[in-house]
Amino acid sequence: MSLSIDNQRSGGRFWGGLSLRRKQVVWAWAFLAVPILFYALIRFYPTVEAFYLSTTNWNLFSKPGFVGLANFERLWADVVFWQVFRNTVLYLAIGTPVSLALAFTIAYHLDRVRFLHGFIRALYFLPFLTTAAAMAWVWRWFYQPVPIGMINDLLSSFGLPQQPFLRSTSQALPSVLAPAIWAGLGFQVVIFLAGLRAIPNTYYEAARIDGVSNLTILRRITIPLLKPTIIFLVVFSSIGFLRIFDQVYNMTSGDPGGPLNATKPLVLMIYQTAFSSFEMGYAAAQTVVLFLVLLAVSFLQLRLLRDR
Amino acid sequence: MAGIELQGLVKRYGATQVVHGIDLTVADGEFVVFVGPSGCGKSTTLRMIAGLEDIDGGEISIGGKVVNRLEPKDRNIAMVFQNYAIYPHMSVAENIGFGLHTAKLDKAEKRKRVEQVAGILGLEPLLERRPSALSGGQRQRVAIGRAMVRDPTVFLFDEPLSNLDAQLRAQMRLEIKRLHQRLGTTIVFVTHDQVEAMTLADRIVVMRDGRILQVGAPMELYEKPADVFTARFIGSPTMNVLPGRVVTEAGIATLALGEKPVALPTTVGTVPADVLVGVRPQQLRVLAGDEPADLVLTGSVAVIEPLGSETFVHVEFGGGLILASAPAKSPPAVGAAVRLGAPVAALTLFDAASERAL
Repeated sequence: MSLSIDNQRSGGRFWGGLSLRRKQVVWAWAFLAVPILFYALIRFYPTVEAFYLSTTNWNLFSKPGFVGLANFERLWADVVFWQVFRNTVLYLAIGTPVSLALAFTIAYHLDRVRFLHGFIRALYFLPFLTTAAAMAWVWRWFYQPVPIGMINDLLSSFGLPQQPFLRSTSQALPSVLAPAIWAGLGFQVVIFLAGLRAIPNTYYEAARIDGVSNLTILRRITIPLLKPTIIFLVVFSSIGFLRIFDQVYNMTSGDPGGPLNATKPLVLMIYQTAFSSFEMGYAAAQTVVLFLVLLAVSFLQLRLLRDR
Repeated sequence: MAGIELQGLVKRYGATQVVHGIDLTVADGEFVVFVGPSGCGKSTTLRMIAGLEDIDGGEISIGGKVVNRLEPKDRNIAMVFQNYAIYPHMSVAENIGFGLHTAKLDKAEKRKRVEQVAGILGLEPLLERRPSALSGGQRQRVAIGRAMVRDPTVFLFDEPLSNLDAQLRAQMRLEIKRLHQRLGTTIVFVTHDQVEAMTLADRIVVMRDGRILQVGAPMELYEKPADVFTARFIGSPTMNVLPGRVVTEAGIATLALGEKPVALPTTVGTVPADVLVGVRPQQLRVLAGDEPADLVLTGSVAVIEPLGSETFVHVEFGGGLILASAPAKSPPAVGAAVRLGAPVAALTLFDAASERAL
């Protein structure tokens, strides 16, 4: 009897000697270790590798040779890159505010609707669950000329001129952006709804007794209290629009990037450089630029939107 | 300033009626407290006065004007909520000033009003702070300040002290009472705490299941409760209510309860045979030895609760526990057999069937 107790004690001497707090720390690190290892291997290592590759001329066939900043100099002088950069900024600059304004308007009003609330919410969320490829093809049909294209059909039935949409250098980008906004709307609406629900009702009741207008309530109470939600959605959707790819790729698959690269975003350019031209070093340099842009935009937004 | 009049006030949620035709007149400058258990309709009634709930029947007048269809802002009332409803993203000054948002005053004048109110409530040094940097009592004061700044004719309080700890609650109670004495504005105050009701009110309105059971001054309710519910609800600790039988012979009614029959005073009038006898723990004392009393009950001590100034004794009697008081310094021992006594004047008789006071 006393022997077995002694055995247990000696077996657990290290563990038994730890304080409760130490034990918790050991457990915490044990659980964190797996994902940390996974991320280090699958995410961080390739990221670092990409930074290295951006300074080489690797083309899959030969050994990578160090070329310094030559890839970045080439990028700086590349006309297509600047077109692509402009497109990417446009996706971000139009997509984020338009999608957020739409999502907020829908959520703000849906919040007041009790009848069929869940059903309507599900309808808005449905596109978010659909594959981008399938959706893009349906939208492609919408944009076709008569008699296939629904939008042009509608225009002509009102006697309005036909529009080229995806075949025009000026209309192609907004035409690609529209389904991208539409697809992400459901997610943003649901997040906004959750944010709106979290605002206690008494705030609104107190404001009603004070007799302030709906507009003032919206401006002075609802939006300030939604700030954490708005910050999250701005950063999240900005990253989404900066990395836009599948909508563009699927909607302009005959001519990826649209007429005269009118819709080509940075990710598509990287894809083409890497997997059509096999210029891995050059593609890595473009990836580094995208990474830096994402980092800068996210930091800037977090800083601007945090407590003033 | 203005009084409030409720006539046949009704509220329904779908098929369920929660307020059943309430009639009440609140005089100008009066402090009225609605008290009752949760779900008794007290908050709903207050919210109807505020205009936050639609009225399904009856009439509400404030200052002689029917307000049934008026928006809350047009009723010239102010309300303090249980969770204070002060905005976390605004400073104390902005919170108090928010009530003046629509007022046609210039900035300096608004600021003056805010400072005036802050002065009364002792909030001056905190004006630029955010609510998150305030204690519970300070937040409560900000909420009251926001109500005061608009100079309303009626203040409505919806359980404003429920989120505070016991000590702070007693302090805020005092502050609200002094504020009322100073401003003299009509106040309707909702609480489920009978101590708040007793200490604050000019008049208490006891509610249950959407109906008013009794309206009266605190001491009136304590001494002459209209029914068993009010008797047990008002006063702390709760009144003992025991079943008893009354025998009437030759015009003299005697109550058969305890050690010996109790002769009831002739003023009681005709009494039904089955009654409920109410006696407050403070008036049911542990008797020393053979000390005589009008009503004498015997039982054994189950639990002793010393409170300092006095000691309460739970005594097993008739299959339940009754509460009596004992001297603080020489309470009986647990398990001891004791005699409890009360004068006949301390007894309140209720009809056992209707539970109404006789």
